Amino acid sequence: MTDQTDQAPLFELAGEYVLGSLPEDQRRAVIQRLETDEELASWVTYWENRLVPLCDAVTPMPVPDAVWTRISDSIAPDHASPAAQDTSTHSRDGWWYNLALWRGLTAAGFALALLMGIGLMLLQPQPTYMVVLASPDGHAPGWVVKASNHQTITLTALGQFEVPPGKALEFWTKADDWSGPVSLGLVQPGEQLLINLNELPPLEANQLFEITLEDASGSPIGRPTGPVEYIGRAVAL
Amino acid sequence: MSDQTDAFDYETCLRDCAAQKQSALRALYQEEANRLMGVIFNIVRDRATAEDLIHDLFLRVWQKSHTFDPSRGTGRGWIYSIARHLALDSIRFSQRREPRDQSPDELPDTSDSHWCERVNTSHWGMHNDRVHDCIMALEPERRTCIYHAYVHGYTQGEISDLLGAPLGSVKSWIKRSLSALKECLA
Repeated sequence: MTDQTDQAPLFELAGEYVLGSLPEDQRRAVIQRLETDEELASWVTYWENRLVPLCDAVTPMPVPDAVWTRISDSIAPDHASPAAQDTSTHSRDGWWYNLALWRGLTAAGFALALLMGIGLMLLQPQPTYMVVLASPDGHAPGWVVKASNHQTITLTALGQFEVPPGKALEFWTKADDWSGPVSLGLVQPGEQLLINLNELPPLEANQLFEITLEDASGSPIGRPTGPVEYIGRAVAL
Repeated sequence: MSDQTDAFDYETCLRDCAAQKQSALRALYQEEANRLMGVIFNIVRDRATAEDLIHDLFLRVWQKSHTFDPSRGTGRGWIYSIARHLALDSIRFSQRREPRDQSPDELPDTSDSHWCERVNTSHWGMHNDRVHDCIMALEPERRTCIYHAYVHGYTQGEISDLLGAPLGSVKSWIKRSLSALKECLA
């Protein structure tokens, strides 16, 4: 990591990131660094807050009504959980809509998965890797990746994720010295996935895993194109 | 301080979104969708892509509103920052490398500073015109770099092509602008 983005003053790097003037590789490097570098993140917030009035320079543009219809379909509760549709007698303030309850369950599930991961690891003599994929802002753990050997990993969802219609979640990995991320395929929220890494180099510590939102058939170019929903790095235990 | 954007309570709206009140998201859409569309379109320069990103943006606001932290900035700023990063990620990370729909010739002339006159910091919960004044205090070519990067999402290289100025100059104009702004805003 000796590229120039490491040497620029943080306020400058953050400013260029917020302005939007960084080329692809440098922008990607900043996004990755923001996962762990709190000082850089606070400079990003600094510039976001101060430059945002420049949005006033732009003339508004009409948005067709169809866009709201799509948004409304994507956020409808029956879209997220077809099961809830049948029991339409649920009132909106019933337990199903209790966000705190679901957050609590997610956190509990996260803790349990962590314990199970550690338990599993203790049972097995081989080196073990574990990754917790969290949302880029670090607030919500979403998935756990467990590897009991270098060639097979399991991906387990910790909570619910609403995939917009026509979109899909795609799972990627990249070790530090690879030139780009490699797709591990599409994942279904709530489904456990067993992935064979036979065709890839052995898993290594600090290897990056991420889940991005792509078109329904996955990224057409073999590289992530959509927003990163969950991200994390392998920890050797 | 009395125009309609001041009347809309973004922080309450985001709290209501976090409580999964669809009416709050709808109200936000009615209030802001057209302006957000302008911001996103100016960066991606493709109407269908911009509409997709508006969808993704409102979905993200719906799903992430519980992570909004009022101690770090205003609700409105939070929403616009997400919008800009979605648009910037889209043009940087998608493979659609063909020129964006509108060529630079058709872009508004930025050699004057009319664009900057539209910046009204009170829309953004700020109580002085510092940002506007500090931008106006930049030398014209530096101000133009800031405009093309922020509003159009141009890279240093694209700005250099557009202005016919060496890449090194553009890079240093941007760096010096950021230093000057940081000092002026302190």
